[in-house]
Amino acid sequence: MLGRGLKRKLSDYEENMAGLSSAFDSSRSLSYPLKRQLVLNMCLTKLQTYKMLVEPNLHRSVLIANTVRQIQEEMRQESSQQPVNICPGIAPASHSYTGMESPGLSLQLPSGVGQQESHCCDLRSVEDPIENSLLMVSDDDMSSAISSILKDLDFVEDISPPTCLVPTGDDQPKFPENTCLKLEDDRQDLKGAECVFGSFEISNSTSYLKDLAIDDIFEDIDTSMYDSDFCCPPLMPPRSPSLATEEPLKTFPSCNSSSANNIQICRTDLSELDHIMEILVGS
Amino acid sequence: ADIISTVEFNYTGDLLATGDKGGRVVIFQREQETKGRPLSRGEYNVYSTFQSHEPEFDYLKSLEIEEKINKIRWLPQQNAAHFLLSTNDKTIKLWKISERDKRAEGYNLKDEDGRLRERFRVTELRVPTLKPMDLMVEASPRRTFANAHTYHINSISVNSDCATYLSADDLRINLWHLEVTNRSFNIVDIKPANMEELTEVITAAEFHPHHCNVLVYSSSKGTIRLCDMRSAALCDRHAKFFEEPEDPSSRSFFSEIISSISDVKFSHSGRYMMTRDYLSVKVWDLNMENRPVETYQVEHPRVLSRASCPRPVCVSNACPCPQVHEYLRSKLCSLYENDCIFDKFECCWNGSDSTIMTGSYNNFFRTFERSTRRDTTLEASRESSKPRAVLKPRKVCTSGKRKKDEISVDSLDFNKKILHTAWHPMENIIAVAATNNLYLFQEKVN
Repeated sequence: MLGRGLKRKLSDYEENMAGLSSAFDSSRSLSYPLKRQLVLNMCLTKLQTYKMLVEPNLHRSVLIANTVRQIQEEMRQESSQQPVNICPGIAPASHSYTGMESPGLSLQLPSGVGQQESHCCDLRSVEDPIENSLLMVSDDDMSSAISSILKDLDFVEDISPPTCLVPTGDDQPKFPENTCLKLEDDRQDLKGAECVFGSFEISNSTSYLKDLAIDDIFEDIDTSMYDSDFCCPPLMPPRSPSLATEEPLKTFPSCNSSSANNIQICRTDLSELDHIMEILVGS
Repeated sequence: ADIISTVEFNYTGDLLATGDKGGRVVIFQREQETKGRPLSRGEYNVYSTFQSHEPEFDYLKSLEIEEKINKIRWLPQQNAAHFLLSTNDKTIKLWKISERDKRAEGYNLKDEDGRLRERFRVTELRVPTLKPMDLMVEASPRRTFANAHTYHINSISVNSDCATYLSADDLRINLWHLEVTNRSFNIVDIKPANMEELTEVITAAEFHPHHCNVLVYSSSKGTIRLCDMRSAALCDRHAKFFEEPEDPSSRSFFSEIISSISDVKFSHSGRYMMTRDYLSVKVWDLNMENRPVETYQVEHPRVLSRASCPRPVCVSNACPCPQVHEYLRSKLCSLYENDCIFDKFECCWNGSDSTIMTGSYNNFFRTFERSTRRDTTLEASRESSKPRAVLKPRKVCTSGKRKKDEISVDSLDFNKKILHTAWHPMENIIAVAATNNLYLFQEKVN
């Protein structure tokens, strides 16, 4: 399918992915949101794999993270236009990228591409309900996943200027609260949440601490010097090689806001994502 | 033999250097034409082999540093010896390659085997004489430029002043003086204060061939920035910004990934530069920033000009004219899934800037004649490359009916890729690296 000489990977999941990606390429009846979801899943899987590497490729990680952001932005646009269920008929496909400046597109079905999509929308009701559940990934999870993936643990040996403390975008978590939430959350969940980009600088330097709970070590050390320059670097739990066995979605950190309520909401989202992943892997 | 990771001719074309994944550098030299063997002119034979880089271990970060040679760049020749820069992910080394074909004989204090002669045997004073010996080519490291890059070095480029050079990694570009190893100047730094904001990395950089103050660097977003070192010490603010506006009708999930530039090369004249992204090669006029002057679709048999397809491409591949579009575009998801979409292809100019060349999959490489827009697809494989045989152009078919000698899109081998190619600076001789084999092709002269 992919060409002579290309070895097919062994795992079931990856075999499925190979089948899915060829389906993406060849099938014309795969609906746009489903294709998008497929791509998103592939991106997240790759990022997850890269995080487990000792030294992930920065170039690739940036490209994949940008793709995830793009998709997330598009889904956010759609969900703001059509709140509850994502009906593929609304998805304006390629127009959504350029349509960001005009949210007034709203519920108008675009004529050309949309017609094809709306046809799929009719089919959707009789299609496997599991596919519907694939689309229900919340925005919060995505943005927090991306934030965590991109967060940098600025390492002292790198001579870049110290970062300003004031968080700028809306997407960025407030750092002190982020720290607290990360500590409070299940350690297991967070170990894998170490960012891809941070690993380029510091994480590997703490890899000798792999088997130790890093918080215990730093309990009596005054880390205020580090905290003032960047956000919670020494407090992040180190990556552990045993993560390879963990389900990928468990590692999405659920904290991207300061409200305690969100912990509850995020925990349910986590279990939803778990559920989705099980379905995906199981299928 | 190891996987070849870089190929580079020197300024005269007499020497061809290759670097491989094992950190070795192999230099080939062109045979001189002799009366006895007139056909041997043009043959390249091994001239020197040496281990340039060894695998290292960064104890601080618990990381292995690969010894793979990422780039080799020759210095212009200034005396009898040859100099080249070779780099792996973290360290650049300056190597001197010199010949020795004479040795001194008749020392006063030493025997022929080097042992000290006994005093009483030294009865007269004599002048040592130079006697010819078998040619010996020695490579010795003259400088080591280390510890200046946090990220992986992807490019080095020697300045036209022959005294400085640049090295670029994912986020920074440093300027070195060839004589000074303990200091380098950072001239470009695109690392954001907060790594969460990182959306773009540097993918390639090069100095202008004539203006020693001008350099360009390409990014993962498909943009090229031209910087003038005279304007400021830190060239974070570009002097020119080259970007082609995106065609909204050809947008897909992978648009950004395939727009990432893998190589940038100035033309020999210095008037143009060429960039290679995943599906195409673009020639830019340095005086025009808003779009390239020429675009060549690499993965398609026919050359497309700047104008895009008359009918729009839609995301769901339900385009009414599939045969006009690159066949690889239809396979993007599979290529993304198997990571082939991240392959970094290089490109090169011929000596007169009239033709450009780049590699592709299935051990194909393509040349594009700029004036006639004629393109040729050739294959570098043992079966089709008997010595002195003329290469037959290949063709890839996209639709169902496959003619004889054509290759169907679906049977392309994506494991066989030609990432590195080089063109002789003056003649039509090309070097093509296909995984662990090096092919040299010459224009047939009747």
